[in-house]
Amino acid sequence: MAAKLFGDVREWVPRDHRFQVLVLANLCAVIARELRAGAEPTLADVRLFRELLRVPTEPAVPPQDADEVARALAGELAAAIRRGELDDRLAEAIARLREHARRQLEIARPGYADEPPNVPEGRP
Amino acid sequence: MTAEAPDPGAVRALLAEVGEDAGELELSPVEGGASRQTFMVAAEGVPRYVLRREPAEGMSFATLELELRAIAAADLAGVTVARTVAAEPAGGRLGPGAGYLMEFVEGTSVAPRVLRRDELAIARERLPGQLASALAQIHSVDPQAVDGLAGGGDPALEACELWERALDEIGEPLPGVEAGLRWLRLNRPPPPERAALVHGDFRLGNFIVDEHGLAAVIDWELCHAGDPAEDVGWLTIRSWRFGNDELPVAGLGELEPFLDAYEAAGGTGPDAERLRWWAAMGNVKWAVICARQAHDHLTGARPSAELASLGRRICEPEWDLLQLLSGD
Repeated sequence: MAAKLFGDVREWVPRDHRFQVLVLANLCAVIARELRAGAEPTLADVRLFRELLRVPTEPAVPPQDADEVARALAGELAAAIRRGELDDRLAEAIARLREHARRQLEIARPGYADEPPNVPEGRP
Repeated sequence: MTAEAPDPGAVRALLAEVGEDAGELELSPVEGGASRQTFMVAAEGVPRYVLRREPAEGMSFATLELELRAIAAADLAGVTVARTVAAEPAGGRLGPGAGYLMEFVEGTSVAPRVLRRDELAIARERLPGQLASALAQIHSVDPQAVDGLAGGGDPALEACELWERALDEIGEPLPGVEAGLRWLRLNRPPPPERAALVHGDFRLGNFIVDEHGLAAVIDWELCHAGDPAEDVGWLTIRSWRFGNDELPVAGLGELEPFLDAYEAAGGTGPDAERLRWWAAMGNVKWAVICARQAHDHLTGARPSAELASLGRRICEPEWDLLQLLSGD
């Protein structure tokens, strides 16, 4: 679907609407990658969030519950970070949360996390 | 985002007030605007104009009236802007949101076109220097000269509080962004020596570019009083390089010559730590804006495939933020 929208439909829709076609093509591609990946990226997030919250990583979460559990844990973790409860290991949390962002990028924007960062320097 | 066009009769009346006798009007939406609605106004016998309007609902930081005052102040300071010709308050002739008509400036604001079109090759060479000068001019404006401009006391702390509040309003848990915000709160730079008018969204997409280079700085809806380093940091985040990742200044140039030109035009180049802080905060800001736009779609406030797609892009600035703060 994404390839059809990007390769064919974009060519014949009026110029004013091509941007919308590109947006829809990209969304279709993202959804296709999400379906292919299944529940595993979300289950990995569940494990990561539990580790950072220092709560037991068992019991395992059934795949059909992964989204709901991950969202709840993300909420708990975000709130704990806001309250300063991870301040003594904030560097570790920042480093580990890259795993979560990388998993999302593999669905939403493959290759993005593989590029070396180009951090601009200011004046000394 | 496609919006319902305003009443052509109302636009004709506004034009009549500035001495334009417009007949049949054509109002066509300009795609790509993520917050305010934009329409091209074309009619027989009069110049083209652009109409900007606040949506009835959704995110808007500065009021449209404040945006107009900031544009006027920047214009006085020498910044090339699209001048306002008429304005209408909320609930007036342009609909529930306030709106205004501005001059049409020839050129393009579409970032991929600016970065890749052959006819803009010379413009691309000139743009970093022109952007540096324009930014120094914006930052030369005393924020107290712009009535109602928010912020300016402790810009770093205000930014932390603003984006924490915005996250709370959305209700979307983003632990990576939250960890970055926490680090930024704990490692804030001191306030700048002098608060400045900050554009707040100074990046490719908000510049009209013609074959000579910068033709106008547009989209002032995030303007506020603050640290000038905020605009520099925002301009350098990866999301605004549009694929030209090796060129940190808007995908157009290197930072050092940009800062040289900025300082030559009167700006004060930020030190490395301050710039890194504001670049990291820029990634927080873009992540939260993406989340907010997706939220507006999901709640039905502004149904739009474009806004929905931004929800899937939160992880890009989130990754860049965490990379910046990890320092490896």
